[in-house]
Amino acid sequence: MLELKNLEKKFGNFVAVNKINLKINKSELFGFLGPNGAGKTTTIKMIVGLLSPTSGKIFLDNIDVWQKPLETKMKIGYIPDQPFVYDKLTGREYLYFSGGLYNIAKDILKIKIDEQIESLKIGSWIDKRTEEYSQGMRQRIVIASAFLHDPDFIIVDEPMIGLDPQSAFLVKRLFEDKSRNGITIFMSTHSLNVVEEICTNVSIINKGNIIFIDTIDKLHDLKKEKKNNLEELFIQLTNEE
Amino acid sequence: MKQIIHILKFKLISYIRLESQFTFGYFVKNIGSGLIYFAFAVGAFFFSQNLIRFLLVDINIGLFLLHEFISMIFFIFFMSVNLGNIIVSYSTLYKSDEVNFLLTKPISPSKIFFLKFLDNYFYSSSTMVMVLLSMLAGYIFYFKINVIGFLLLLLNFFPFMFSAGSLGVIILLIIIRFANRFGMRKVFATLGVSYFLIILLFFEINSPLSLVNSILKQFPYYDRNTYLGEFLPPIVKWLPNNWLSQSAYRIVKNDISGLIGFTYMQIALSILLFSIALYFGHKWYFKTWLLNSKITSDQNANRKKTKPFFSFEKVSILKSQTEAVIKRDLLLFLRESSQVIHSLVLLFLIVIFVLSVSGMKFVGFGNFYLQTIIYLSVFLFNLFFISTLSLRFIFPLISLEGLAFWKLKSAPVKVNSFIKHKLIVISSIILIISVGLSFFSNYKFGFLLTIFSLTVTLFAAAAIISINFGMGGIFSNYKEKNAIRLSSSQGATLSFLSNIVYMLFLIVMLFKPVSELFLSIMIKKYFDLTVFLQALIPIIIISTIIIYTYLKIAYRSLQQDF
Repeated sequence: MLELKNLEKKFGNFVAVNKINLKINKSELFGFLGPNGAGKTTTIKMIVGLLSPTSGKIFLDNIDVWQKPLETKMKIGYIPDQPFVYDKLTGREYLYFSGGLYNIAKDILKIKIDEQIESLKIGSWIDKRTEEYSQGMRQRIVIASAFLHDPDFIIVDEPMIGLDPQSAFLVKRLFEDKSRNGITIFMSTHSLNVVEEICTNVSIINKGNIIFIDTIDKLHDLKKEKKNNLEELFIQLTNEE
Repeated sequence: MKQIIHILKFKLISYIRLESQFTFGYFVKNIGSGLIYFAFAVGAFFFSQNLIRFLLVDINIGLFLLHEFISMIFFIFFMSVNLGNIIVSYSTLYKSDEVNFLLTKPISPSKIFFLKFLDNYFYSSSTMVMVLLSMLAGYIFYFKINVIGFLLLLLNFFPFMFSAGSLGVIILLIIIRFANRFGMRKVFATLGVSYFLIILLFFEINSPLSLVNSILKQFPYYDRNTYLGEFLPPIVKWLPNNWLSQSAYRIVKNDISGLIGFTYMQIALSILLFSIALYFGHKWYFKTWLLNSKITSDQNANRKKTKPFFSFEKVSILKSQTEAVIKRDLLLFLRESSQVIHSLVLLFLIVIFVLSVSGMKFVGFGNFYLQTIIYLSVFLFNLFFISTLSLRFIFPLISLEGLAFWKLKSAPVKVNSFIKHKLIVISSIILIISVGLSFFSNYKFGFLLTIFSLTVTLFAAAAIISINFGMGGIFSNYKEKNAIRLSSSQGATLSFLSNIVYMLFLIVMLFKPVSELFLSIMIKKYFDLTVFLQALIPIIIISTIIIYTYLKIAYRSLQQDF
């Protein structure tokens, strides 16, 4: 279970995330929605250890992420919105490098890499340097690297940016599959279609505050109640704040 | 012109707004920077004054030889600015995102070339200019030159620098055109060899030793303070470094009519080279930009898929995390041509230096004071080498993690382990080189001095490495991919100045024991070993404090928000 308790992040006087509380249970595919600058990426960066919270706590299976960072990072696979990788390494080298950081034995790592190459269909350019990759290709390499150590949690920021329809389809099926197999997925996105299609639970953040949190079914109910489609409802909710 | 001013205006605004928020840390960092700059400027000022006094009063080399030595320093300076400008210009003119952006706008490539030319010139040369200006100030004060003399000197100095920068860009444009035909590696290798040969040829034709010998032979028939141009090879008189040193000589002698000719030639040369650079830029810049893109894509397409001997796929005896970080760093280093070329150049210089100093023994014998000065100068030179290596290869280490650093920061890697993995390979190499340099410049002075010097060098190298690593953490810039630009940034300059402060501390600490040792050898008196210990203990304590402090600084900077 992933739990955020009164989580706050300030940049100077600007409050990016305002004491938010969230609970994401095992196997949930949790959609984290919000307009630009709402605090989605800041929240994610605090979960994965890239930004330190101003106050509040983050628990992963009841372990404080900022008290025991190494232990919790072993459980997380992180996919950022900007897939920056090392230009001069090949995709395969990057995967070996990533696996090595999680202390995966070489023989197991080789099998895992081959599995990811197969499942994400990256075999034809895996031995080229990543400087030659398109953004979509890089994104797929980064997604592959996040699954190498069999994480319990996948934290993903805007997964569909730069992906072509085939890749987007592939990634959506992969997340659904992993979620069915017990992995918890926390996914920030702008894409309302993706949320409607694959998420089990949803939260909306706006100006650093959580303004909606419930199951996807409840969101559909609210949509019907207000006689809106999801896009209109989203705009209405985020404008009301 | 309106467009250029418009772009320059916004570049200036973005430069001024480096920090969006004024914090206490920002204030302290800038005040600290200012203080270090000031301290260094004052240090360089007094150093040059004392050096001139030493050469003119203690050794009595005369004004002519002094200015010929200055001319040689200007030659090295010219070549450094020139070569630095080629390397930096390549990344700013052909590899920069800003150029990619500007090329999509209705701006002529000639204007972009002009803007980037100015960028490179000030970026690659600012540190060296500051060093030289501080030393020039010492020179001016020593000779009590008035304000007009000072302005006249600057009027010669700036065109000289501008010529070096313009020539660098002209050479770059030419080599990109050649690279298309002969391949990038061959052209750059030829360029490297040519520069080396030019420097060798210069010192072969204009050997300082032969010059000193030929002047001293004529003594006392010649006045050492008069201009003895007949002792110089004719070709040397046609070089801008010689014009500049002669201008300085004429200013000291208050010979304004003699000065005008050199000033005129200096300015004319800089205008000529700048005009050629602009003309070539106008004609070739966009063509060479396209050529460079083609060369790069051809290289990618033709790259052989061979696996290096330290491939990730091979089984390693190292722990997984250690292996991952070390192999990644090695691969990234070896695949970045500028890193490899610079390493080879520095390695070559080290070999030359070792060959030169290993033959030294009793230079200045008979005068223990002079011998101490020579010994400490060589020691200082060793330290400068260590500092240069650290600045070039240690300072950028943290920044070179780049925007892909998120992977390591979000992985279960301890910061201490990360620091260890980052430093282990390159620090070991620098430490081995340092010990080697120290050994070869000391072993002929006997066991005692060798052991003493090796111990000091080992601590000094570790301290200098730590300073550069810590400063690299404070001034980390994950957006900059170019190691050369990183090691010539403002942070790197401050790091270098911090190294110099530490080096001066070492020289001050070493002066007494070394001079007493040379005195005891000269007068065949017993040397008390406690004199060495009295210097060694504070050096070890201060160095250890520096190592700890700067590693802690690096640790803190690695824990900051990413």
